[in-house]
Amino acid sequence: MNTSMEEALRLEAVRRVYGSDGNRVTALDGVSLALPAGSFTAVMGPSGSGKSTLLQCAAGLDRPTEGRVYVDGAELAGGGEAALTRFRRERIGFVFQRFNLLPTLTVMQNVTLPLKLAGRRVDRRRARSILERVGLGDRLHHRPAELSGGQQQRVAIARALVTEPKVVFADEPTGALDTRSAREVLALLQESVRVYGRTIVMVTHDPVAASHADQVLFLADGRLVGRMAAPTAERVAEHMTRLGELVGV
Amino acid sequence: MTVFGLAVRTLRHRAGGFAAVFLAMVLGATILMAFASMLDIATGDVPGAARETLVIMATVVGGWGMLLVAFAVVSTLTLAVRQRAAEIALLKSVGATPAQLTRMIVGEAVALAVVSVALAVAPAALAGRGLLALLHDTGQVPADVGYAFGPIALAQGFGITLVASVAAAYITARRTTRVRVAESLVSAEVERPRMSKKRIVAGGLFLALGLDLAIVTVTAMRNAGQETMATAGQAAILASFGLAVLAPGLVRGAARLAGGVLERCGAAGDLALASLRGRTGQAASVVTPIILFTGIGTGTLYVQATENAVIARSGLAPEEGAETIETLNLVVIGMIVAFTALMLVNTLLAATAHRRREFGQLRLAGAAPGQVLGAVALEGAVLMVTGVLAGTVASVFTILPFTVARADALVPDGGPGIYAGTVAVAAALTLVTVVGATRRALRVPAVEAVAV
Repeated sequence: MNTSMEEALRLEAVRRVYGSDGNRVTALDGVSLALPAGSFTAVMGPSGSGKSTLLQCAAGLDRPTEGRVYVDGAELAGGGEAALTRFRRERIGFVFQRFNLLPTLTVMQNVTLPLKLAGRRVDRRRARSILERVGLGDRLHHRPAELSGGQQQRVAIARALVTEPKVVFADEPTGALDTRSAREVLALLQESVRVYGRTIVMVTHDPVAASHADQVLFLADGRLVGRMAAPTAERVAEHMTRLGELVGV
Repeated sequence: MTVFGLAVRTLRHRAGGFAAVFLAMVLGATILMAFASMLDIATGDVPGAARETLVIMATVVGGWGMLLVAFAVVSTLTLAVRQRAAEIALLKSVGATPAQLTRMIVGEAVALAVVSVALAVAPAALAGRGLLALLHDTGQVPADVGYAFGPIALAQGFGITLVASVAAAYITARRTTRVRVAESLVSAEVERPRMSKKRIVAGGLFLALGLDLAIVTVTAMRNAGQETMATAGQAAILASFGLAVLAPGLVRGAARLAGGVLERCGAAGDLALASLRGRTGQAASVVTPIILFTGIGTGTLYVQATENAVIARSGLAPEEGAETIETLNLVVIGMIVAFTALMLVNTLLAATAHRRREFGQLRLAGAAPGQVLGAVALEGAVLMVTGVLAGTVASVFTILPFTVARADALVPDGGPGIYAGTVAVAAALTLVTVVGATRRALRVPAVEAVAV
């Protein structure tokens, strides 16, 4: 990894332990990583490997038990939920498997919501141009329920990009989509890296989705156990099979 | 307290609309059977005048109680079924016929009703005892007349609760199951209902009946003593029901009127407005108990204050039976106020608990907990003001005709304190409940809240 490049995300020996004394589960067991700005990273691993916990700790949705998290050079805020929210909305965007668009808001309102919540100026022209870029320029005043799954996910991507966050975290963004919509969504994520210089961290179990990333990190039992640059679907699938045998899943 | 405790526990574990239906049924059946047990007492060895008091108590109050219970069950059941719209749409898409779905919904309502009535027996007997003690204390029933809880109370409790539940479930089920699959899958998340013609006609009918009683009060009942009061009192109840039936329309009107102000309240205002527009039905079920509380409460209290003042001014001894009427009035107001207050809390808890996922989504979109609270509080304030204003209009149906007929005045006695007190209670109940329930919902981490 080119150390001279600007760093978008850094995890230092992050541990996350759930449960109380008698019944401890270590979901993350000392994960360290650094991702340069403008990179597209997929995180893969068998179920229970800690993928989701990694994403939540890195994105400021959960607090690590030990270790440090830096996003865009700033350490994840201490303090309450409000402080964490402020930290997230300045630096982080989200895309989820189940879209999580607000059903009562229109497409346009959903996309401008993060700006309003952050008390920032709402630039409708820019929001519109992002929505046009994701192919929804003619759906601005529709509600999410009136759109297909693929369209909803594209709205969610537009919403994640509107605040110009340093890092976009995507949790199984293609998990609820058909093959064609999934391909469109992945192309959009790639475009946001190439064109807008965003950094993307995507958790997925789909080797095809992972092959759209620049590199794949493999996770097993809460530890990073491998890294693959320039991944192809076949190589990722093969690696996952071996990993599965290794941990006996 | 056991009923309430149980209901609270049920609410906690199944934070859905059905807990609200259950609570409405248990409380409703309690009230119904407490009053019906007066008839059981009257079948025993009771002197004539006392028997009459008992029968009036059971029929007049019980009659209104029945309507109120039916209303509460319809309102909460509608909320519960609407919250399951997605599940029902799914069942339809895998081949459930409207008839099967109707059977399912009605069947659940019947099961709930039977359990509720059974649970209501003990508290009803307790409340009935209290009622009799009140009649003993005011000397309207001799102290040697003992309490009885028998077949009439049980039959009325089961009969009325069951009929109200089945009718409510049937109406709700027909409304939900008749929609086509594609449409219901789309509208599962957001409904944009226009009020049906039937709803407008029903609301109009209640209002017309209320107006009719108001006119009768100032014309035929002008000098009819206590009966003026009884007739006038019912006008506000009917008008409140009418406005409650039209609540979805009121909410839409309120959203339009408040829109300008809300848009200037930042993100919280936008969210409140979107919620009022996109979830009119849910909002209407919150407004309903506020209207009933304000309308019936204010109306009855001012009428009683005016009546007392008129008697005091005349310097005459109170008419015979005035005491019974006052006791009745106080019991009615007490019962209705307690019931609607509980329904208000109940409905708000159910409606807010159901929004946990929405709150999680908001937080993931960058809303701090305070902003979610702000949005919900603004929305609650709009609903509260809407309900209080509609309730005030309904109370005028009672107050104005009565003061004209009884005191030849336009303004009732009792001063502004009664109104201020009623509004303050309505406001406090709404805002405290909604903020409390939202705080509770916000305690769940956002990621968990959306992963339902």
